[in-house]
Amino acid sequence: MNCVEFRRQLAIDPQATAAADSTQPVVQHRAECPRCAEAHARALAFEGDLARALNVAAPAQLAEAILLAQTTAERRRRTNLRRASIFAAAAALVLAVGVVGMRAEAKPLSVQAVEHLHSEEEVLALTAPVAAAEVTATFAKRGIALKQVPDGISFVAPCPVGNHRSVHLVMPTADGPLTVIYVADQKIGAAADFERDGLRGRSLPLGNGTLILLAKSPAEFDRVEVQWRAAIAG
Amino acid sequence: MSPVSSKQRQFDALVRGYSGDLFRYAYWLCGEEALAQDLVQESFLRAWRSLDSLRETAAAKAWLITILRREHARLYERKTPQFVDVDEVEVADVREALTPEGSGEDALIRAAMLKLDVKYREPLLMQVLGGFSCEEIARELNISSAAVMTQLFRARQKLKAMLGGEPIEAQVYELR
Repeated sequence: MNCVEFRRQLAIDPQATAAADSTQPVVQHRAECPRCAEAHARALAFEGDLARALNVAAPAQLAEAILLAQTTAERRRRTNLRRASIFAAAAALVLAVGVVGMRAEAKPLSVQAVEHLHSEEEVLALTAPVAAAEVTATFAKRGIALKQVPDGISFVAPCPVGNHRSVHLVMPTADGPLTVIYVADQKIGAAADFERDGLRGRSLPLGNGTLILLAKSPAEFDRVEVQWRAAIAG
Repeated sequence: MSPVSSKQRQFDALVRGYSGDLFRYAYWLCGEEALAQDLVQESFLRAWRSLDSLRETAAAKAWLITILRREHARLYERKTPQFVDVDEVEVADVREALTPEGSGEDALIRAAMLKLDVKYREPLLMQVLGGFSCEEIARELNISSAAVMTQLFRARQKLKAMLGGEPIEAQVYELR
């Protein structure tokens, strides 16, 4: 190594030049060249001055201020995350309810009526007649003025069937209880008989809605249909 | 009371271990104490968000400096910096920039350092404050090792010139 190379190395990294072991060319050159050894000493002194000058004091409590900012931001993020989770859960619930509602809506009225019957099977056992005034009042709640009230009604209630506004009735017959469901807000296109879950059924358009009859046997369907046509359509 | 997470403990250690060094680095990058403090805080907040990407403890300081440099670059994307051409700086400027209470050799060096073009100042900071090798500086600055060596050489040359000392290049020239 010559003087030019040594001085260049010294200017690039004085500390590395100082830290080099005795086998390194920089150390050997320094030992052989007094002028470069002096330059090396001056360079190290300058590095010391430089390091001391650059070592400006950090503000007091800097670490604490950073940690405070970080923990505050983290708490805020967690709070926002919790809020977002709650919002997402609520949105999912609304979506689920919507989907369930849409699925329920997608079911035929006859299916929804059978499901409703199963959910309130205990009323099939009632046999005591209900007052005609109660039947009239229940239909009135659905916006329907009955022309007359059929005999032999043992249960009446304004029930929701799926999403529909309906009146749920039970009429005991010789062949067992006959369930009558009048869906006030949806009118089907044509009458049809059906069978589902061991029940026989009939649905027919009547007035502005749909009359659905359900029983173990359809034997009384014609008779009861006539009664309700007279009661609703007149 | 929930236990402090290991991630939080790691972060605490990083902040307590390196916030001072990072502040000094930031200060010499931007030359303003308040701005340096903001830069360090923003850098640590960014470090917290990506703490999982820190794999080796030994690389922590370099990793933090990388984050700080990016944060500094973002700052300068938002506002145009006023660059000073180092060639226009006279030694007298450095001396005149000193306040009465900031006189002395350290103050002279500090004033000269702030006048040094960032192209020269940054590798010098990384070497003197960060203790990085030329190869590490080259990786960080994404330039060649040879370019780093040249910049370090010139940085010291210009600093000494501003401080009224004999430029190393002149000394080298005399030797030829």
